[in-house]
Amino acid sequence: MTEGRRIGLPRSLLYHTFHSLWTTFFEELGWRTVTSPPTNRRVLERGVALAVDESCLPMKVFLGHVESLRGHCDAVFVPRIESLNETEHVCAKFMGAYDIVRNTMPDLPLVTYDVDAANGVQERASMLALARELGAGPLVARRAYARAKAAQRAHDLEMVRLQESLLDVGSAERDHTRILVVGHSYNLADELIGKPILEFLRSLDVEVVTSAEVDKPQARALSKRLSPSIKWTYNKELLGAVELYREVVDGIILVVTFPCGPDSLMAELCQRRVEDVPVATLIIDELQAEAGMRTRLESFVDIIEAKRHAAHKAEVEA
Amino acid sequence: MSRRRVTFPHMGEYWIAFETLVELLGAQAVVPPRMTRHTLEAGAHVSPEFVCVPFKYNMGNFLEALEGGIDVIVQAGGGCRFGYYGEVQEAILRDMGYDFDLVNLVETTNLPMLVRELRRIQPGASYPRAVKAFLIAYRQAQAIEAVEDFVRKNVGFAVDRGAIDRVTARFLRELRGARTLRAVRDLRSTTLAALGAIPLAKPENPLRVGVVGELYVLMEPFANHNIERRLAESGVEVHRFVTLTSLIEHGLAGRTFVRKTIAAAGPWLEFHLGADATESVAKTWELMNEGFDGMVHVKPFGCMPEVSAMSVLQRISREYTFPIMFMSYDAQTAEAGVDTRVEAFCDMLQMRRRRQSGA
Repeated sequence: MTEGRRIGLPRSLLYHTFHSLWTTFFEELGWRTVTSPPTNRRVLERGVALAVDESCLPMKVFLGHVESLRGHCDAVFVPRIESLNETEHVCAKFMGAYDIVRNTMPDLPLVTYDVDAANGVQERASMLALARELGAGPLVARRAYARAKAAQRAHDLEMVRLQESLLDVGSAERDHTRILVVGHSYNLADELIGKPILEFLRSLDVEVVTSAEVDKPQARALSKRLSPSIKWTYNKELLGAVELYREVVDGIILVVTFPCGPDSLMAELCQRRVEDVPVATLIIDELQAEAGMRTRLESFVDIIEAKRHAAHKAEVEA
Repeated sequence: MSRRRVTFPHMGEYWIAFETLVELLGAQAVVPPRMTRHTLEAGAHVSPEFVCVPFKYNMGNFLEALEGGIDVIVQAGGGCRFGYYGEVQEAILRDMGYDFDLVNLVETTNLPMLVRELRRIQPGASYPRAVKAFLIAYRQAQAIEAVEDFVRKNVGFAVDRGAIDRVTARFLRELRGARTLRAVRDLRSTTLAALGAIPLAKPENPLRVGVVGELYVLMEPFANHNIERRLAESGVEVHRFVTLTSLIEHGLAGRTFVRKTIAAAGPWLEFHLGADATESVAKTWELMNEGFDGMVHVKPFGCMPEVSAMSVLQRISREYTFPIMFMSYDAQTAEAGVDTRVEAFCDMLQMRRRRQSGA
């Protein structure tokens, strides 16, 4: 194992949320990390071929990433997460990801850790156990965990700060239309799913704010105003982002991948309960035609710009 | 407080137990009309487009019941997006102009909590009254399950199928009036005795098939296009393990049950997949090892926990050449398609049997 010692990280699902934590952790343990390339058509096609037909698009993308790490590392890292705190849980695909990969690619060596805080399985203990499994002593393990957590916190703060500096400009003096794009980090940050949407909006001279860079604990607390009973941690963050920014944006776009159950319910509730800002839902599947997506975005932007100008005109005349 | 008018979603024949529960609490039960295509169409029309199909059936039930005036809607929850149904359904119905109280049983994880929630159905119902109502309704549900279990295993072999149907129909009719523990017990035992007396032409070693999957589609014959009955009538002994009372018991057992189920899934699972999916894998593995002829896995289209289970079941099926038929239901699933697939599946099982005995 002297030459090897490489852990493969699929650039997919929670990688887009926890890459600082994971990369720092494995590197502090003395392993090199190999991250799969940004999603491309080939990765998606392999994922589609490997996945159960009805899997959601992010799961198909994920399996493509896992497969693309074959031969490039000693083991692929696939965490198993059920709940990150005592009162919430995450989507079932994060519960199943490890066993799905294990049964879909039985010959691929994997490493994992389990987090189910609602049932007493804590991230810290699980990550320390994984460190032990990878040959680290207790001191190195604890130091790696502490540094990984610090790196993750620094990263999260930086993202929030970037977004806030963008929002500092009040709506009175800004001349660009501002749109909040709401979607899971693993969708918005994905080269094939979310990136084209964000880039196209920017090309229309739209100022884009996203749900990926919110203050997560604050957003989760705020989500109760829109939906008191929603339990999925990541959906709470999305609803919280809506609540946090709805007063300072001109429109909201919900990016939903097919056939996401939590998102379909959340989008329904958002459309009903957010009445002050125009809300559009954009559904993405693996056959997504870019032309169709652009047409929809263009017409949405047209509508809110017309609305904005009308409001501006009314203000000037008054 | 006046008697409140209470409705609930349909699921198989459990409406009898739900009706008993509501009425013994002192409220008035409004049973939604029997499901038809219209129920599904009306429900789908007001539901998010790709929400799973149980949501749409529930909405159809509520809309049809609300026409008669309703004070309370009771909704339950499960381990997946089922748990979030209540709030979204309430928002949709309120936007349509309906006014009602929603009693959402989703948060209840122990019996005292459940009984407390039940008392919200009819404020003023005493604690002992609520406990008694729950117990009697629970026994009714178990009686339904015992009768249906017999039917699934034997109706395919009855010399006169009509005889089984007549006994079952009478049982369901009389169960509505059996509202003491004793009456439920007596009706259950006389019915099982009557069923046991019906002549069967059952081979010593009949084809045996297990049915697993997502709870609602599994337990609502209208939603699964009567798949169990179709299987049974093709000459199969059909085994199903997920029932309403088993779900309640497993829910109360919490993690103990989850741990046992993961262990029962043998080498295939290290972790819980969520909702009923771990059990789908565990049962398949157990029944295959017991020598069952095949399995049928049913779920609503897109049901994530069961899609996870499928990746495991497909592997088991491949590695052991063990027949598993996967059925996925949405609002568009056609009855004829289900019929053809069941027929082909059963023919294949028969052929395998003949090949095995010939070898």
